[in-house]
Amino acid sequence: MSAVLNAQSAIHSGNRLYRSRKQLNFVLLAVSSLALAFGLFWLVWILGTLLYEGGTALARATLYYQMTPPPGADGGLANAIVGSLLMVGAGTLIGTPVGILAGTYLAEYGHRGWLAGATRFLNDVLLSAPSIVMGLFVYSVYVAKVGHFSGWAGAIALALLVIPVVVRTTDDMLKLVPNTLREATMALGCPAWKMVISVTYRAARTGILTGILLAIARISGETAPLLFTALNNQFWSSNMNAPMANLPVVIFQFAMSPYEDWHRLAWGGAALITLAVLVLNILARALFRKSD
Amino acid sequence: MGNAEHISKQFEADLDTTRTRVLQMGGLVEAQILAAIQAFSTGDAALVTQVIENDARVNGYEVAIDGAINHIVVKRQPAASDLRLIMAISKIVTDLERIGDEAEKIARMSKRIHEQGAHPAQRFPAIRHAAQIAVKMLRQSLDSFARLDVNSAAEVLKEDTAIDDEFRSVLRQLITYMMEDPRTISASLETVWVAKAIERIGDHSKNIAEQVIYIVRGTDVRHTSFEDVERELSKE
Amino acid sequence: MEAATSAINSAAASRPAIHTTMREGRPAETAAPSDLKAKLKINKLNFYYGGFQAIKNVTMDIPERKVTAFIGPSGCGKSTLLRTFNRMYALYPDQRAEGEILMDGENLVTTKQDVSLIRAKIGMVFQKPTPFPMSIYDNIAFGVRLFESMSKREMDERVEWALGRAAIWNEVKDKLSQSGQSLSGGQQQRLCIARGIAIKPEVLLLDEPCSALDPISTAKVEELIHELKTDYTVVIVTHNMQQAARVSDFTAYMYLGELIEYDVTDTIFIKPKKAATEDYITGRFG
Repeated sequence: MSAVLNAQSAIHSGNRLYRSRKQLNFVLLAVSSLALAFGLFWLVWILGTLLYEGGTALARATLYYQMTPPPGADGGLANAIVGSLLMVGAGTLIGTPVGILAGTYLAEYGHRGWLAGATRFLNDVLLSAPSIVMGLFVYSVYVAKVGHFSGWAGAIALALLVIPVVVRTTDDMLKLVPNTLREATMALGCPAWKMVISVTYRAARTGILTGILLAIARISGETAPLLFTALNNQFWSSNMNAPMANLPVVIFQFAMSPYEDWHRLAWGGAALITLAVLVLNILARALFRKSD
Repeated sequence: MGNAEHISKQFEADLDTTRTRVLQMGGLVEAQILAAIQAFSTGDAALVTQVIENDARVNGYEVAIDGAINHIVVKRQPAASDLRLIMAISKIVTDLERIGDEAEKIARMSKRIHEQGAHPAQRFPAIRHAAQIAVKMLRQSLDSFARLDVNSAAEVLKEDTAIDDEFRSVLRQLITYMMEDPRTISASLETVWVAKAIERIGDHSKNIAEQVIYIVRGTDVRHTSFEDVERELSKE
Repeated sequence: MEAATSAINSAAASRPAIHTTMREGRPAETAAPSDLKAKLKINKLNFYYGGFQAIKNVTMDIPERKVTAFIGPSGCGKSTLLRTFNRMYALYPDQRAEGEILMDGENLVTTKQDVSLIRAKIGMVFQKPTPFPMSIYDNIAFGVRLFESMSKREMDERVEWALGRAAIWNEVKDKLSQSGQSLSGGQQQRLCIARGIAIKPEVLLLDEPCSALDPISTAKVEELIHELKTDYTVVIVTHNMQQAARVSDFTAYMYLGELIEYDVTDTIFIKPKKAATEDYITGRFG
């Protein structure tokens, strides 16, 4: 024992293992810093280009009240903005309750049943499915049946994208609520449904809300599902039963065109969506932080 | 009672040390009695001084063991047999210290008796016999404490009557002496104190034996008749 | 001389027998648990987690308006036993109980009575404080509203009563609308106790209520437990043997799902009958 203690200690700054560990640490730190700089570089470039190219269009008031113009004419994106808002709004309103209820089932009721396991698996598949699949699906079961593109079809496609995100976040957030809180509520003689509504939902409130905001952020930039469902409309239309203008598809269409003024509008629309998503993300983050 | 060791080795060691110190203190006290009785018989002044000086050591043991007990109580909050052991040691130590005081008293009295000149009582066997019983009781009570042996402790309780009888017979003899020769009254009265001290040693030894029964059985047998104690011990 | 001798003899003769002197000056002895009116009568109770038997053939009576403590090493089944009393296990499909837990003649294990009603009669406080994500006031009112409808004024009174009973009213009376989760750990635990007694249960189950608390908060909760037994039958599970010794009237020692010894707390801690109990409470290897 004392012989071990009296032997010269290996702990000193000249130790070989210690020094090689320090060197390795330095190398890894340098590599990861470079990777970070690399990633940030492209992100900043993308945002910079967006603001540079779209900034002038964003600053013009006509963007917000004029319709999408024919080539060569002056115009804005008013119909596309409103169409996007309507479809994203409708999609969220349809998708969120379904998602929350399904998520609640998974977290609160179907703990171990095969149904919950299967649902969770399928939901994960849906979550990572390409959005164009949703568009094609709604096209085949709805658009093809009724015979025309429409805002509703777009909303349904977007709702189908919202559902898996909300299911997943609701499930995860409810599972984060400590089980002791449930037991404590039940211990008062509280029925399960009331416990879910008045205690676990409250405890998971900000998490679930954050999930919804992130789902909105995700669908507001989707082009593929709208291409097959809402298509586009160069005129003002708030009729959800008819083809409807929307930002992503307009951007897609205008950006592919040879016309310079359409390009400018496409950049403006892209910058607008990006900023909206940014705001939603910041909002979600702030909400989540407040709850901690 | 639990035979396994405590999970805490330190606790085990603390208890062991305390137990050992009690036995050491007991050994010292026993030597004190023997020396005091020797002084009573021989009038050896050096022995008297030695007994008086050694009493400080006995007192030192009492203080040290009490300190160790406080330490254990504060650190370990002993329960069950540990609690009973600690409580009992605390009382045993007091009894041992009192026995030490009695030994000192015998030594002091012996000195005075011898200063007054020879007295026949010095050599009469009843006192020495009583002292032998007292020492035997003390030794056996300490032995039963060391081995946690209730039967041995119960024998000590029985022994107490013998020492009481012995005390009465000493009294009777001394009264006879005093009536025969009034010049011995003073020395005889001192001798009564010696006899009384021996009787007290028997009582304290009995107390120690009672504590041993408490440690082992958890039954408080103080202030009860011997028959009750026997009935209690015959259980199980 | 003769007088002296006879005095000595009569002193010896007048030594009292064991059971006459011992009572005087002693605290009143507690009767054995089986001699008191039982609130919960447990009879041959077995409990299973799937295939694992966590409680083995436990039979005991839990006396009314007394504090009964369960001690034992981790995994001995003491918490599990507590959770059978209010059928908390029914939340989990693979857990099941067999045997009898009689409360007022009704077998809680097999009863057709709604489990919510049983739980309202048998309150429970958990190891970690579990304030609901709502105001201090609503934390208390929530449980009350489940079974009673009352005016705002009556509810105010009930909330004050419960918080007062849990010895936390003075600390929270000026911030009833604040979140219950903003309180300190010790306050949260007392809030949970207040929530438990606000619905006026008959039995209060405490599952290691102080294990997450500092010594001062622990002392407050222990003091509270002592006061609660005037109205409630309290059952407490604790890892802290000293706590069991401090707060309980009766102590049960459990090991590997079996009830090893159950007796008056003083007896368990001074003179346990079983060597296994002795080894556990004195900290020896089993």
